[in-house]
Amino acid sequence: MLQRFLDPATLNSISGLDLIAKTVVDGFVAGLHRSPDFGFSQEFAEYRAYAQGDDLRHVDWNVFARTGRCYLKRYRGETNTRLLVLLDTSASMGYGSHAVNKLDYARFLAASLCYLANVQRDAAGLIVFDEDVTNYVAPSTRQGQLFRLLHAIEQAHTGTRTDFTKPFVHFQNFLHRRGMVVVISDFYEDPAVIVKTVEPLRFRGNEVILFHLLDPQEIAPKFREPVLLVDMENSGSAMEVSPEYARHEYRTKIDAHIEALRSQARGAGMDYFLVDTSRPLDEGLREYLSVRRGML
Amino acid sequence: MGFLAPWFLAGLAAVGLPVWLHLLRKHKATPVPFSSLMFFERRTQSSIKHRRLRYLILFALRALLFALLAVAFAHPYLPRTLLAVSRSGEVTILAIDNSLSMRAAGLLEKAKTLAKSEVADLHPGQRAQVLAFASRVEVLSEVTGDRTALDAAIDALEPSDGRTSFAELSRSLGSIAQSLHLPLRVLLYSDMQQTGMPANFNDLRLNGDIRLEPDPLVSQQTPNFAVENVVAPRRVYSGAKTRVLATIAGFGTAKAVRNASLVLNGRVIQSKSVTVPESGRAAVEFNSLEVPYGRNQGAVKIDSADALPADDTFYFSVERADPRHALFIHDASNTRDLLYFKTALEASGQSAFAIDPAVADQTANVALSQYAFVVISDVGSLPVSFEKSLREYVRDGGAVLIALGHSSMGRAKVPVADFAIQGTRYAGREGDLFQSAATLDPSHPSIRQNNRWEGVKFYQAIRVDPGSARTVARLTDETPLLMDEQLGAGHILVFASTLDNVANDFPVHSSFVPFIGQTANYLGRLDAGPSAVTVGSFEELRDAGQKAAAVDVLDPKGERVFSLAEAATAQNIQFTMDGFYDIRRPNGRNELVAVNADRRESDLTPATPETLRLWQNTASGSAVSGQAGGERSRLSLWWYVMLAVLVCALAESWLGNRHLSVDKEAP
Repeated sequence: MLQRFLDPATLNSISGLDLIAKTVVDGFVAGLHRSPDFGFSQEFAEYRAYAQGDDLRHVDWNVFARTGRCYLKRYRGETNTRLLVLLDTSASMGYGSHAVNKLDYARFLAASLCYLANVQRDAAGLIVFDEDVTNYVAPSTRQGQLFRLLHAIEQAHTGTRTDFTKPFVHFQNFLHRRGMVVVISDFYEDPAVIVKTVEPLRFRGNEVILFHLLDPQEIAPKFREPVLLVDMENSGSAMEVSPEYARHEYRTKIDAHIEALRSQARGAGMDYFLVDTSRPLDEGLREYLSVRRGML
Repeated sequence: MGFLAPWFLAGLAAVGLPVWLHLLRKHKATPVPFSSLMFFERRTQSSIKHRRLRYLILFALRALLFALLAVAFAHPYLPRTLLAVSRSGEVTILAIDNSLSMRAAGLLEKAKTLAKSEVADLHPGQRAQVLAFASRVEVLSEVTGDRTALDAAIDALEPSDGRTSFAELSRSLGSIAQSLHLPLRVLLYSDMQQTGMPANFNDLRLNGDIRLEPDPLVSQQTPNFAVENVVAPRRVYSGAKTRVLATIAGFGTAKAVRNASLVLNGRVIQSKSVTVPESGRAAVEFNSLEVPYGRNQGAVKIDSADALPADDTFYFSVERADPRHALFIHDASNTRDLLYFKTALEASGQSAFAIDPAVADQTANVALSQYAFVVISDVGSLPVSFEKSLREYVRDGGAVLIALGHSSMGRAKVPVADFAIQGTRYAGREGDLFQSAATLDPSHPSIRQNNRWEGVKFYQAIRVDPGSARTVARLTDETPLLMDEQLGAGHILVFASTLDNVANDFPVHSSFVPFIGQTANYLGRLDAGPSAVTVGSFEELRDAGQKAAAVDVLDPKGERVFSLAEAATAQNIQFTMDGFYDIRRPNGRNELVAVNADRRESDLTPATPETLRLWQNTASGSAVSGQAGGERSRLSLWWYVMLAVLVCALAESWLGNRHLSVDKEAP
């Protein structure tokens, strides 16, 4: 069962990339993530002129002997980060126009990320939510954490409707330390509301990445005749839609929605990545990680 | 363009089916779950937009398919003009009907005149041939361009008494076309009698290169009375008055009274008035015919004064003769068999034979040549000299009926026939212990008219070995019951049981009477044919053993039918005219045969134009109506339309499949 999420080819491709590149949070295990702060690492970083108040323990006395000036020797700190995956299991995530629906795809993605974090000995956690938090696995590096995560991902099923506001209030309670927060959702909500809800995570120094999962039929619907569409999150709501509308107006609106979400997320300092569920998962991840490395 | 069956065009209404399918069929939207409707707006779709035709090419193909099908069933054709020159080397056949009905109202002369005018119109180099047809086709000229020869052939055409047979004409035309290897243009001059059409229309089928142009000389039915039939005995053996029954028929006539006369040897014996109903029949009975000795010419005439007088007389022949003698040899102690045989012979209405009874002992000096046949009924022994003379009698053409019973058991062989007697087969007279006749050969003259001997019980039968003789009847245990042996020119008939109601109960059954009557006729060689035959029928002139003897035949005009050479070899004769044929055979069996024209000729109703058109159309691509210098023909478009239907159906299948597969792929 576990093997379902751990496609070796996918993992191999992800491991070949450098997730270490971006995030430097305060860590203790050397060699993986670079910390944005200078710490206790053995790797030399730079010299800085001594200023009053600096710790004298960091003064390079050899330089002082040669030059007669006080310089502080600075090292790059290396750290472990905390990865928290927020998995949306609202009813709309159950939609799929082909073999893999969005929730399945989101499970694969979450499992891949968790495994990756585990390989790097990062603490990984999981929050499953729809309109409320349905499952929570606290970030940890303990033995068996990966299996707890995968089990929780396995247990995730489509729930009710999406409501970001309520669960995200709880998330802030779960996040005590800085780390990386990955939100996997189809984001059927006003971009302003989403950004406004997610933004507080960013204030705490977390790096927030939004994975926007959409089915190709949601991005560019193709109907040959008028169809009666039933809302999956509200079965009482149905609407007859003409192919012309789906072909023109809808696409304009969804494109605008994606663009608004992208720009507002980036404006708030969050990473945004649109994932088409028809694309191979490893291909999408590779592209995303490449983009991240490029940003460094 | 025209249509042979335009009412099939009503099928064009079927075009509405694809219109309904594509345009008017109620739209059913199937609910499709979707993740979120936040980017959709409720839109009211206009009904017109909703009813927009979908799959325009598919719709057009389907509509076209139905339209083409309807058009194909309507059988479209294109009229086209065929020039006469397009049929190079065409031979004109002038077929003139000379059947009996053409004697009416100078039709034959009219036909000859028309044929002559056609000969006069022949182009230089154009060739023609003259045919006369009735029941058979007579070629009157060669295929020639010589107008004089053609005119002479037409002039030589004589009326006949045959009946029209268009089937025979069609067959002959086919043969001529095959032998000439040229297209034929057949000009048919006939009264086009409906009765001349064959029962099977297929017999009229013409070759493709025959172009038939019938020229009906009459357009409506001509009223005609005729003596349709006369029932009279062919031979009488007493001076008693004989009954003659005649049927008078009216074809297309009003109710009328006709005077019918019975004529014998040119003398009117009796006249009667008869009322013939409208287009009906009436029977006239004459009871006062006293037939003088010899062969007599009889006739029934009516005074109809109609267009066709040739069928107002019906000829029949009647012969007065003394009864012939037959010898019945029986055992002195048993006269029951004689009683049953004689009674059965009289009961069969057969007075041609007088039975001379004799017991076996009295037969030593009997002169057998005076007897028509001899019956030997269960006789134990016969004088040796008689048996020898009996064998000679049979070889010379005589006939013997031998009935076997318990007296025959003393003999080792059947007299004359020499069949070995093997034993006797007994059955009890009670319960089911009897035999019955299991197989009867109905082709034998003795049992031809009653081929079932139902309920006849055979208690005793003599089992004999028939050898090479023909076994006509067998009992249920396969014992031969009736055997026919040919000896020289004569016959020996062996009945393996008795005629005395002891060894069987056959004599007290109704089937015994016709059996004895027919057997007597067979053995006595009495020809029980009808008193008159129709023109075209055949008569056998000689037996197998009379090859060298000359047969003299005089036709109704008193002329000899055969030349001397033909008279010595002719096996049979076909009667070609009505009247009396006098046949004189070498064995002295002279005969007067009354011949009448086929009375189907009396019905002058012409065939319908539709029938004639159908006949013309049996030759593919044939013309319908003649025109000077060319003719109108029809080019059938049916095959082309059906080809288009096939193409449309294939295209529709392909396109429909394609749309269907796309629809399946769409969510």
